[in-house]
Amino acid sequence: MLVPIFTLKLNHKINPRMVTVGKFDGVHPCLTAATQAGKVFIHNPHARGQRPAAHRLSQSAQDSDISLLNINQAVSCLTAGPLGPNTAGDTLLVGSQTNLLAYDVHDNADIFYREVTDGANAIVLGKLGDIQSPLAIIGGNCAIQGFDYEGKDQFWTVTGDNVRSLVLCDFTGDGKNELLVGSEDFDIRVFKEDELVSEMAENETVTSLCHMHGSRFGYALANGTVGVYDRTARYWRIKSKNHAMSIHAFDLNGDGVVELITGWSNGKIDARSDRTGEVIFKDNFASSVAGVVEGDYRMDGQVQLICTSTDGEVRGYLPASKELKGNLMESSVEQDLVRELSQRRQNLLLELRNYEENAKVVVGVSETDSEVGVIPANTQLQTALSVRSATEAQKAHVELSISTPNETIIRSVLIFAEGIFEGESHVVHPSAQNLSGCVRVPIVPPKDIPVDLHIKAFIGGKTSTQFHVFEITRQLPRFSMYVMAVDPLVAPPTGRVTFSINDRPQRVVMWLNQNFLLPEGTNSPDVTFTSLRGGGLLSISMASSGQITLSTDDIDLAGDLIQSLASFLAIEDLSAEVDFPDYFKELRTTLTEVDEFHSVHQKLTAAIADHSNYIRNMLVQAEDARLMGDMITMKKRYRELYDLNRDLVTEYKIRSNNHNALLARLKSVNQAIQRAGRLRVGKPKNQVISACRDAIKSNNVNTLFKIMKAGAAAS
Amino acid sequence: MELHLNRVDYMQVGVTSQKTMRLLPALGKKATQKVAIADNDGVLTCFGMKKGEPVPVFKTLPGPKVSRLDLGGVLGTPQEKVFVCSGSEVRGFTKKGKQFLTFEANLTESITAMRVCGADLFVCASYVYNHYCDCKDQDYFLSGDKINDIACVTSAHLERPAPVLACQDRLLRVLQGSELRYDVAVPGPPSVLELYNKDGGKLTPHPLQTLPNRRTTGEDVLYGTADGKVGLLKIGESAALSQWVIDNHQKKGGVLCIDTYDIIGDGVSDLLIGRDDGSMEVYGFDSAGEPALRFEHVLSESVTSVQGGCVGKESYDEVITATYTGWVTGLTTEAQKAEAGPGDELSMSKETQTKVAALRLELDQLQSRVLQGRERYQQTSRSGTAVSAVPVFSVNDKFTLCQDDASYSLTLEVHTAIDNLLLQSDVPIDLLDVDKNSAVVSFSECDSEPNGNFLLATYRCQANTTRLELKVRSIEGQYGTLQAYVTPRLQPKTCQLRQYPIKPLSLHQRTHSLQHDRPMNRLSLVGLFSLAEIHSWVGFCLPEVPEKTPAGETLTLYFLNTFLGTQLEATYSKGEGHFRSDNISTISILSDVLSKEATQRKINLNISYDINDESVSHTLRMIHPKLQYQLLLAKKVQLIDALKELQVHEGTADFLIPEYRSILDESQHLLDEYKKQPAHLERLYGMITDLYIDKFKFKGQNVKTKVSSLLEILDNYDLNSLLAFFSEA
Repeated sequence: MLVPIFTLKLNHKINPRMVTVGKFDGVHPCLTAATQAGKVFIHNPHARGQRPAAHRLSQSAQDSDISLLNINQAVSCLTAGPLGPNTAGDTLLVGSQTNLLAYDVHDNADIFYREVTDGANAIVLGKLGDIQSPLAIIGGNCAIQGFDYEGKDQFWTVTGDNVRSLVLCDFTGDGKNELLVGSEDFDIRVFKEDELVSEMAENETVTSLCHMHGSRFGYALANGTVGVYDRTARYWRIKSKNHAMSIHAFDLNGDGVVELITGWSNGKIDARSDRTGEVIFKDNFASSVAGVVEGDYRMDGQVQLICTSTDGEVRGYLPASKELKGNLMESSVEQDLVRELSQRRQNLLLELRNYEENAKVVVGVSETDSEVGVIPANTQLQTALSVRSATEAQKAHVELSISTPNETIIRSVLIFAEGIFEGESHVVHPSAQNLSGCVRVPIVPPKDIPVDLHIKAFIGGKTSTQFHVFEITRQLPRFSMYVMAVDPLVAPPTGRVTFSINDRPQRVVMWLNQNFLLPEGTNSPDVTFTSLRGGGLLSISMASSGQITLSTDDIDLAGDLIQSLASFLAIEDLSAEVDFPDYFKELRTTLTEVDEFHSVHQKLTAAIADHSNYIRNMLVQAEDARLMGDMITMKKRYRELYDLNRDLVTEYKIRSNNHNALLARLKSVNQAIQRAGRLRVGKPKNQVISACRDAIKSNNVNTLFKIMKAGAAAS
Repeated sequence: MELHLNRVDYMQVGVTSQKTMRLLPALGKKATQKVAIADNDGVLTCFGMKKGEPVPVFKTLPGPKVSRLDLGGVLGTPQEKVFVCSGSEVRGFTKKGKQFLTFEANLTESITAMRVCGADLFVCASYVYNHYCDCKDQDYFLSGDKINDIACVTSAHLERPAPVLACQDRLLRVLQGSELRYDVAVPGPPSVLELYNKDGGKLTPHPLQTLPNRRTTGEDVLYGTADGKVGLLKIGESAALSQWVIDNHQKKGGVLCIDTYDIIGDGVSDLLIGRDDGSMEVYGFDSAGEPALRFEHVLSESVTSVQGGCVGKESYDEVITATYTGWVTGLTTEAQKAEAGPGDELSMSKETQTKVAALRLELDQLQSRVLQGRERYQQTSRSGTAVSAVPVFSVNDKFTLCQDDASYSLTLEVHTAIDNLLLQSDVPIDLLDVDKNSAVVSFSECDSEPNGNFLLATYRCQANTTRLELKVRSIEGQYGTLQAYVTPRLQPKTCQLRQYPIKPLSLHQRTHSLQHDRPMNRLSLVGLFSLAEIHSWVGFCLPEVPEKTPAGETLTLYFLNTFLGTQLEATYSKGEGHFRSDNISTISILSDVLSKEATQRKINLNISYDINDESVSHTLRMIHPKLQYQLLLAKKVQLIDALKELQVHEGTADFLIPEYRSILDESQHLLDEYKKQPAHLERLYGMITDLYIDKFKFKGQNVKTKVSSLLEILDNYDLNSLLAFFSEA
């Protein structure tokens, strides 16, 4: 059994996911983590008390091994690593919601301090693609930026939603790193520099990513799922009721292949085989795990796995030696094997007994009403999916109807599906009076995603206590919330996308049938739908030349349709003519608002500087008065100070409101670029994104809209 | 003294009931012992271990479920005859497997507990106790509640052997012939009884013989309760003396089996305890004769039987356990040797390899047979007349009230892995998270109209979960049924429905003593109803009421509210019923439910109240310390983070006032305490609000509009202002 080789109690809280190890002097690894009150602590047990306190750095009074770094802002991410070309040691990078600080701990000096309007939710340090110098890449609200050692903005792109996790890995196997981005819209996107090469849809916010080896990487979701991908194919995943706080790749059993180490919110640490997800080691902390990192912390040439908890407990594990033979758990492999085989035997015996007992039941004996739940052997469950428009009693929904062909009843229906229910399942349990052989389940998928519905229906008699479980899987098509009906009162959509394909109309009809719930016998690619979510119309028409026109006011829907169609028809590059007058008008207002908020922001910042000068003066005056025993003046000064403080607080509130509004606008601008990109496929897509970015940089609003409408090539 | 025991799995049989495994006495000196185990398929298996392989001595044919197994024999000779009971029949086998006795006890119910002592046979079937001598009827006793276990104390101090019955109503009943000698209240529903050192401690050479409470007489009885406590009682002629009790602070499972065996090797018999949450504990005794935990091992399923002895290898003592799914496992003192040397590719010993190979072969054969069965089953689905009926699988479930946090714990155990669990309730209840439970829970949207669902939750279990534990918090006054649908991972897939009533006074438990100096409110019922009818109504309202109407003209039951500590006394007879409680809400709930029940059955009830206004302030005073503690705790917990930040900022906590410093010092403890009782404050607030509404309900006033001002007072809590608020208006 593997035991930690060292355990430390640091007496400082550690913020989850904000832990790293850096060799700031180039030699000694130091555990560095964000703690309460906008501070970062650096644990350096190797060089005790050599450094004087100055600038940002101060020695902790409780523990001489720990130095504290004042950031004075809530830290949102941090990392350490080599950034500059000429420095021997690692650079510490600390991100907050507004700034990015690059700091040289050894020399106790700022390297750069940049304002980042989109915030920094995640950070990664390393080389990306063909860019020469290592970059500090931060992911914020829909935007990703990369800075070099001079603080120069070397890389910029947008993504679908707020970025929550980043990792660099050679995804395509070309010897250069790609950037993997996990975001709040449940997607993992792969960027080859600023070109989006792959997109994997998950079903929750992607909170962590880590590189395993080769093109394999691990991921964790906000709903407690962890797993491993190899390129775009998922190898395995498991789901726990706890949340994965941190994941890291480390070869703990010494077999030369890294395992996925996961730190959980309940304090559990486990190591899972990268191939199967099988647990090969686990340990427990008293509180939630904050971060899992690695480093040669004992300076003996061996790299340890270092796990930290939010309470400041640190444990280091050495990879298992050869003698353990990869067996890190307490129990012996043999016994487990024997036990597992016996368990399987037991299960088979039980199943066999079920069949034998079943055969003994005399045909035709006591039908559905016995307790055991005898049902006719030919009972088969029928399921059907259909679209229902809104009625007075019920919202518009997709209806799943499940029925039995005979007098048996459905006691309950469980539907397990990802991403369309609040939890992972939906239950229908009619009361005893309402039992029947037919159950209708209304489903309202919140997003346009294809979903597998794993249906479990409990079938039996009215008074049974044991039921047969029927398990069926049905797929809910991607665009199921659209009904083929036209309401003449609804105005035709103004937005449209036009593009050309070189395929037969029959193929488009096939795509329609696969992705929509269509009535029987639809065989024309010219169709009109009403959206059950917003009520707007969507029409698709195809000319004999292969030109397709999509009319809808929903730019996201248009993007989804184009992406889905392109992947169905295996189109690599697709450019399109676009016009969404309403959306573009909105965007124009947003852009002017951004300018306004920017100027307000600058004004407020100036006011703050004034106020802080006042405060300094006032405080000195007040303290002077106190030392001189002039209590009346002192009281007066402090009262003034108090008023000033109150003003500051209100001002702060205004400022933060302004800031939040600004962030929201910036996010929607970023999203607009992303959306414009999604209306194209392949090269035209990337061209549109980078051209839009350039237009924003040069503040050329008209060009921006031109690009969005006609694509980058036209400009 | 540290104890290290290593786990060795010996064999698996079918699902086992409580106390169905025993070790046969060793033949010579230092020889290994044979294991006799009986399962729910009715098979009695006797096996010994030879070179790590189980070698069966005999095995009987399947039959009805075996509920108990005991060893017996002529007194003074080795007790090596095996007795099993199934249904109402007792069978006896020699150690060679020859059946020498079949005895039909002619009871209407199945035997639940059995004890063999020489020519005496004691059997219990739910409420009935019977004593036979040489298969001839001797004594008979009808107990007031279900009998869970029986022990038989023989001692020089007692004229005759005294049978002790463990009854569900928290009493041990000590009998004399067919008469009740006396009863003893124990702190929980006793589930198992065992004599200390098997013969009641008679022959134990205790090293502390000079101590006054030395155990040299044969009247010491160990009991284990369903809520996890263990105690020792000295059974005397006219009263029993409690020696010690091991409390269950860590909220472990209920006790299923106890044995005494000197596994530590210090000359004193240690306690071996098996629980229904899979833990097996060894308690030794310290110098003061108090039990102390020495070793604990957690198996993944209920431990149904435990015994100390020597099975696997000569001269290595071990603890043998049998679990619910029929695994016989040894925890041996033999050290597990390092099997392979460094660089050795073979990681498995030869023995294991052959074992594994044999198992794999058997699996393959089984697999093909299962495939055939599956095919045949599939074929029947084409026939129009065939039916499909899958046999009922056994579910071992328990729904109990935990006294400490006044919530219910539900445990479900199936003999094979559980796939998923659906929970449905038609009353509002809270589902609490349990650390031990690793299943992924998902709450589904509920439609209270028209289907009456207040809770719909699914638990999707991780692989190999055979046991699930969850916690449910109920609200008094709201009653209905909690339903659980268990689906195991077994083809053809079936699920089983289990129902658990949530009673109107769900937080009450039975007790046997009341404080009589409290101000009491009274509710009286007069009407044309029989004793059985009113007993069933009481059983409908309150937990732990015996199903069967106990004998006697007038019945008196005492209850304790586990959350508030208020009490309830129910006295009823034919045509009359009186309920006295110091909590006005309890009376209010009872009156609501009882009148509703009576109306349903069209029985005319005459209900009268005797409300004591003093009782309200008395109840508030009882709540006061709890409320104050919780408020203070919440306040302190709120401060912890801020204080810690100050400490980090200043680098020291010396400048803080002592009160704050103590909060910092105790922070961990405070947080633990806070976590342990989620929503405690909200529950207290809810009960005070109910109290307020109920008080004025009896005066005929509706004060629901004033509840908001009551909550305001609670937010700035002070006992006197609260009392004043209650007394005004």
